[in-house]
Amino acid sequence: MTAALEVTNLVKTFGGLTATNDLSFALEPGESVGLIGPNGAGKTTVFSQIMGELRQTSGSIKLFGTDIGLLSMPERIRRGVSRTYQVPRPFADLSVLENIRVGFMPNSVWGMVVGRPNVEQERDLALEVGFNEADLEKPASDLSMGDLRKLELARTLATGAKVLLLDEVFAGLTVGEITQISALIQKLRSQGITMLMVSHDLPALDPLVDRVIAIERGSMIAKGSFAEVIANEEVRASYLGVSA
Amino acid sequence: MGLRWYHFAAWGAFILGLMALPELVSKGTLRTIIFANYLAIFAISWDLLSGRTGYISFGHPFLIGIGAYTSAILTKRFGFDVELAIPIAVVVTMLGGLVVLLPALRIKGSYFALVTLAFMELMYQLVQVIRPDLTGGTRGMSGIQTLTRGAVNGFYLSSVLMVIVAIAAWLLMRTRLGTALTAVGLNESAVEGSGLSTTKLKMVAFLASAFVAGLGGAFYVHYLGSIAPRALFDINFVFTIIVAVLIGGASTIIGPIIGAFFLTFLLEYLRPWLPGAERYFIYGGIALLLYMYQPKGIYYMLQSGWARLKGSTS
Amino acid sequence: MIQILIQGLLLSGLYALIAVGFTLIFSVGRILNLAYGAYLMLGGYMYFWISQSMGMPKLFGVVMALALGVALGILKYQLIVKTLRGDHVAVEISTLILAVVLQAGVVLVFGDSSKILLPIIPGVVYIAGVPVTYNILAATLASWVILGGLYLFIKNTHTGRAMQAVSMDTKGAAISGIVPDHINMITWAISGGLGALGGVFFASYTQLAPSMWVAPLIISVAVVIVGGIGSIIGTLIVAHIVGFMEVSVVSLLSPELRGVFTMLLIILVLVMRPQGLFGREEL
Repeated sequence: MTAALEVTNLVKTFGGLTATNDLSFALEPGESVGLIGPNGAGKTTVFSQIMGELRQTSGSIKLFGTDIGLLSMPERIRRGVSRTYQVPRPFADLSVLENIRVGFMPNSVWGMVVGRPNVEQERDLALEVGFNEADLEKPASDLSMGDLRKLELARTLATGAKVLLLDEVFAGLTVGEITQISALIQKLRSQGITMLMVSHDLPALDPLVDRVIAIERGSMIAKGSFAEVIANEEVRASYLGVSA
Repeated sequence: MGLRWYHFAAWGAFILGLMALPELVSKGTLRTIIFANYLAIFAISWDLLSGRTGYISFGHPFLIGIGAYTSAILTKRFGFDVELAIPIAVVVTMLGGLVVLLPALRIKGSYFALVTLAFMELMYQLVQVIRPDLTGGTRGMSGIQTLTRGAVNGFYLSSVLMVIVAIAAWLLMRTRLGTALTAVGLNESAVEGSGLSTTKLKMVAFLASAFVAGLGGAFYVHYLGSIAPRALFDINFVFTIIVAVLIGGASTIIGPIIGAFFLTFLLEYLRPWLPGAERYFIYGGIALLLYMYQPKGIYYMLQSGWARLKGSTS
Repeated sequence: MIQILIQGLLLSGLYALIAVGFTLIFSVGRILNLAYGAYLMLGGYMYFWISQSMGMPKLFGVVMALALGVALGILKYQLIVKTLRGDHVAVEISTLILAVVLQAGVVLVFGDSSKILLPIIPGVVYIAGVPVTYNILAATLASWVILGGLYLFIKNTHTGRAMQAVSMDTKGAAISGIVPDHINMITWAISGGLGALGGVFFASYTQLAPSMWVAPLIISVAVVIVGGIGSIIGTLIVAHIVGFMEVSVVSLLSPELRGVFTMLLIILVLVMRPQGLFGREEL
């Protein structure tokens, strides 16, 4: 079966600094994989390269078998890979519904002018990620962090993402919000969406992933099930800085 | 598009009111309104690009000037019919602006503002130097064909034009395109992150803006009957357009119209006391204070006032 | 040929002085101060008023212009920039409005017509057969001295290095104990002073007129775009490119085309290398 996302020999250097050091991994369709590592390990850099925000120095990135390494970010998103950000980027003055609307829009000016927004579809998606009817017209600037993350997820899903990169989706959330988002992610998993999740909140990550990859300073240092990777000596050392 | 009965009612009332004006006011006031109409058109043009996407253009007279000069040259020097010259002028404005400003759209906000300012200056110099036999050089041209005679006819023409432009722009911005453009102004990278090409969007905003600017410029020159680079490519003109939009309310269509009328009449009232450039001192001072206090403009103030009224009666 | 060389050198020095004040603000604060040209205009008028209208010693006039520039810079920072708290669009627009207001104000006080400024140092000297007014020579030499001093200031003093830090990363600088607010205020003060001084020299080079703030702004814009942000040396080099280019165009082609090539250069750089010749990667 063709891998949903396949990264091969990915290298990214910034002058003298090697941020990504010959990284290779593959995600099967429907898999949920955790990407962990200490601060500065290069996790967000990997995301940026997969999305096309950063141009890789060398290596290939394949989405469902097609090389996307030279495509622009909107083009990659059109093909089904999308990401969320550690700091959500909502359209502050637009309402929840309008925010989601942007995700549903076709990348064609004619389409935008002539076609009407499908409010039913927008509503359904908003309710699915956990918004209430009352929230739909609220401007994004009024939302809590948890709601902003839901909004970002909704907008990402609206683009038709089949592969989701989630960057610290639990950061800054209350315990209740973490539960909500976790439930949402489980739902997406059951729908067959492939996911790569970066998180510092390891306990929250555990039930959501099939397996885990650990990186440090741009290189992979361990991979396997959650339990295996957590117990790994090198991984513990990278987090704690001493031999555990 | 969600058009409701009150939209039709509001626009209808506006149009009727406008058409009834010649019966109600003096010729002098009509002439002032003509200027306000054209300023409103220029303001809408600026708002379509800069108000929505946040790419502040400080050189809009550049576009207006291309439209004006093209139509003037075609009719006066080459004997074109006005019916042909104006559409050509609009197309030339769009093309000329595209060729020249497209590289500028690749760069981020602040640089864009600088570059548009530079282009306006460039236009000012070019027009005096390149083919002054066509452009009239430093002194400009006069004796250009006028489309109407007298205040009343000039009023009707400019009003009809303004209303058509306003409604067309209003309808366009009510589509998903309007939402997308507003989103670009709010968070451009997030728009890219939603799978949309912001370059394409910016280009559309720019073309729409250029279209209106060229149209307005062409008709304006056929109202004035003359054109002069000093008055056209002037920072005061830029200032007037931008302030009209901001005072009225950016990123709407009604806002620029309100602002244009407010501004034109304010300047007219100040004229007896402060002829000449000094008016801008008072006016600019008011504008600055107003802008810093309520950057969203009069339209927003009216909207929130209306909302508060509705809230208190429910 | 020699004429072009010498005139180019002289003009470039002046342009460098003018551009540096503008670049400083843009580098350190990422703010576009469209009213920058107003410093020049007001500096020039202040000098004119003190030295010519009131007949006081010229040096006093220069000092007063400088003081005005500094004061204006600080005022602008406190009243506009801080109030708007980093909303770039709002600052751009506000400074534009301010510039127009100041221009109108000057017209109110001094009238609309342009005035010829008497040279600061009268007389002409011949360098390699080319007539050069002492005035221009003084202006250029002063520019070089001031720029040299500024360069040393930025590289070697604590405050100067703090300015560099803030220009690279405001938050990082703040964490290191630098107070960005103070640094910004100092930068605006320096910018205002430089602008005002530049205005005195610029006015004696061309003419004093209320609309004179636009041209220097465009030049500064050109230098920022072509040179990129982040280095004084870059600004210096580009100022010379622009200066020589203008002088060459005026001598070899036609005086009216003076500004046109500068604009074309801007376009070219934008298309080929948007971050400028010496700019850093990110914009």
